[in-house]
Amino acid sequence: MVALRRTLEALEAAQVENAIVAGWPWAKIAEVLGVSKQAVHKKHAKRIRARYPGERSRRKGEDR
Amino acid sequence: MIFSCFTRECRRCVEAAVEEARMLGHDSVGDEDLLLGILRAGEGIGAEALSASGVTLEAARRESEAMLSEALASIGISLEEVRREAGKPFDMRIPRGRRVPFSPRAKKVLERALREAVRFRNGHIGTEHVLLGILRNEDGTAVRMLAHMGVSPEALEDLLCEAR
Repeated sequence: MVALRRTLEALEAAQVENAIVAGWPWAKIAEVLGVSKQAVHKKHAKRIRARYPGERSRRKGEDR
Repeated sequence: MIFSCFTRECRRCVEAAVEEARMLGHDSVGDEDLLLGILRAGEGIGAEALSASGVTLEAARRESEAMLSEALASIGISLEEVRREAGKPFDMRIPRGRRVPFSPRAKKVLERALREAVRFRNGHIGTEHVLLGILRNEDGTAVRMLAHMGVSPEALEDLLCEAR
């Protein structure tokens, strides 16, 4: 069902963003989603970083 | 490809269809996006026939969203609730970098548009031919969308034939 897949994807993207903004480390997000840390970072990091320009330094240690 | 026989309006409508698909979060350009593309480009015989039938871009977009909500509601998911729970970051739009291919149905619409142009011995493919292609696709999403907006394919076709 296309509608469901699209909604699910948007929902995952939104919740990962919410988690990052709330200060969750990538490793914890990956654990919750049941995927590797690298996978979740690859899929979401670029998009989220683009949406929060200049906020990168706060999470320097976590970002990779 | 056949793009060279497209009228300027028609080329614009195909480009606009891709933009609409992106904006509405469709991961491929469907026949309904071609309909939205005709409306968004806003020029050409196809767009005139649609506006004469009372179909506007805004209404068509709303209908497309409503059909998504209905599809989700039918399996017990409230899009409104999902949106509310996820908050501001929830965004269905397709990001810039990702390609949005044409769906098999949209390709068929364009093929039919070509066939209609040949049938009428028109030396070009215009938005009227694309719209006819859309209407011939009876089980397509666009025809369903039009029906929800109270427009029958037959009535639209009559309008198109008059305009030519």
